[in-house]
Amino acid sequence: MLPIIQVKNISKQYHVGGSSTVAPTLREALLAAFKFPFNGRNGKQANAPDLFWAVKDMSFEVNPGEIVGIIGRNGAGKSTLLKIISRITKPTTGEVNIYGRVGSLLEIGTGFHPDLSGRENIFLNGAIIGMRREEMRRKFDDIVAFAEVERFLDTPVKYYSSGMYMRLAFAVAAHFEPEVLILDEVLAVGDAVFQKKCLEKMKEVGREGRTIFFVSHDLSSVQRFCTRALLIESGQLLQDGAVGEVTDRYLQLISEKYEVAG
Amino acid sequence: MQATANISESSVPGLSREPAIKITASRAALIPQLGDVWAHRELLYFLIWRDLKVRYRQTFLGVAWVVLQPLLMTLVFTVFFSKLGHFRSEGVPYPLFAYAGLVPWTFFANSVSTGSSSLLSNSYIITKVYFPRLLIPAAIVGVRLIDFLIASAVLIVLMMFYGIAISRSMLMLPVLVAEITLLAVAVGSWFSVLNIKYRDVGTVLPVLIQLWMFASPIIYPSNIIPQQWRFVYSLNPLVGIMEGFRSSFFGLPFEWNAMLVSSITTLLLLGYVLYVFYRWQERLIDKL
Repeated sequence: MLPIIQVKNISKQYHVGGSSTVAPTLREALLAAFKFPFNGRNGKQANAPDLFWAVKDMSFEVNPGEIVGIIGRNGAGKSTLLKIISRITKPTTGEVNIYGRVGSLLEIGTGFHPDLSGRENIFLNGAIIGMRREEMRRKFDDIVAFAEVERFLDTPVKYYSSGMYMRLAFAVAAHFEPEVLILDEVLAVGDAVFQKKCLEKMKEVGREGRTIFFVSHDLSSVQRFCTRALLIESGQLLQDGAVGEVTDRYLQLISEKYEVAG
Repeated sequence: MQATANISESSVPGLSREPAIKITASRAALIPQLGDVWAHRELLYFLIWRDLKVRYRQTFLGVAWVVLQPLLMTLVFTVFFSKLGHFRSEGVPYPLFAYAGLVPWTFFANSVSTGSSSLLSNSYIITKVYFPRLLIPAAIVGVRLIDFLIASAVLIVLMMFYGIAISRSMLMLPVLVAEITLLAVAVGSWFSVLNIKYRDVGTVLPVLIQLWMFASPIIYPSNIIPQQWRFVYSLNPLVGIMEGFRSSFFGLPFEWNAMLVSSITTLLLLGYVLYVFYRWQERLIDKL
């Protein structure tokens, strides 16, 4: 089977703290404005402490229909990996090939504007995440029903309760049907009922044969849905394999760190 | 789009399918990037729609300000430059002359100043979803373009009030509108990335815009510029464009030389800015 995502040796380097290129004076800013496209690689002095590898030389492949969980401690590089695959940030080295339509949900309700109504935000949010206008019109009623906000559809969302807001945001996201779905801990927010609804929807999406790639701290949901998991630690792909083994390794990793620190 | 080869890559060397999306560390080529902008044109529509809706929900004056801004400026300039300073205005009543210059000018100036902060103020979307970043300053220009069309309609009404006939010269208007729109997108986008890289640009910009206004024939005709400076003066793309607008509205003779220079300068600037934008927005996103 041909992979639907190929990640080859990607790395991401960030500059930390004040290693800034902010021009101190107006004169330099103006000169730089005309010069900067002609400057080569910004000759970085060996500011080694200033540079930080969020992701280091990761490679893996995902096959169509797989549901892959990404686990790891906070700051391990999981979100950075998702950002690279979602084209939000460019890798410093390496490449990613994606053979299908990708939809990323790094948060729900992206672009929601408080002064616009629920109805207007459905279209705005849908357009931002990548749904076509025709598709949104077709699914509009389903989205509203799923979110259970019919009565408040024309009220500005700044007046919504946090529960309504999230249900609406998730309803739009849930009706987004790309071939490859990338999720970043979107399940972490919300009450138990909401979480249950999210998981049900994900199960449904999984049954339809779509590829899902998601980051979660909730090991039980990872174990329930995924056949495969990736363990990320300090920017590196520590383990890639069956869910059971990878989660065990993760737990082992955590207890090791605990012992050392404690 | 996705190829449907069923043979594995290893069994047939040299035959491979094309990825729908290819992400690499190197800079992407410009033409596919512009193709990406076209593919996202629906989102551009929604971003413009969003700004219009929000503006009219949030402001008291709403549509009225779109016309009031150039009108009030016209009033000020009429009093100071025409009545007191006795500027000539090519046979057209001075208020009309000034208004006809101020309408396209406010479109351009507002596009640039709002555009310059657009990437920063939309960082909450840009850092969470991918779409071609050029859409953001382009949407700002789109909103201002609608304002421009409304203010122009008022200009036509004023012209009728003053008894100026509508002439065939107005056929040039779509060309001029397209040109000033491209210029607004170019300059707005340029400042939007500059503003991320050098945060003090935001404070300098209002001064630059003000200077640019006086360096362009908006409230005065360009024939007050001494002959020997005329060529340098017309390197400012707004010179040809503004004279073009006035000739177009009032049926005055066109200054083809200045307009040609404007077109060339505008296209060169657009090319430069697109190159700069695409080269730098990738790196600058990390600074948002």
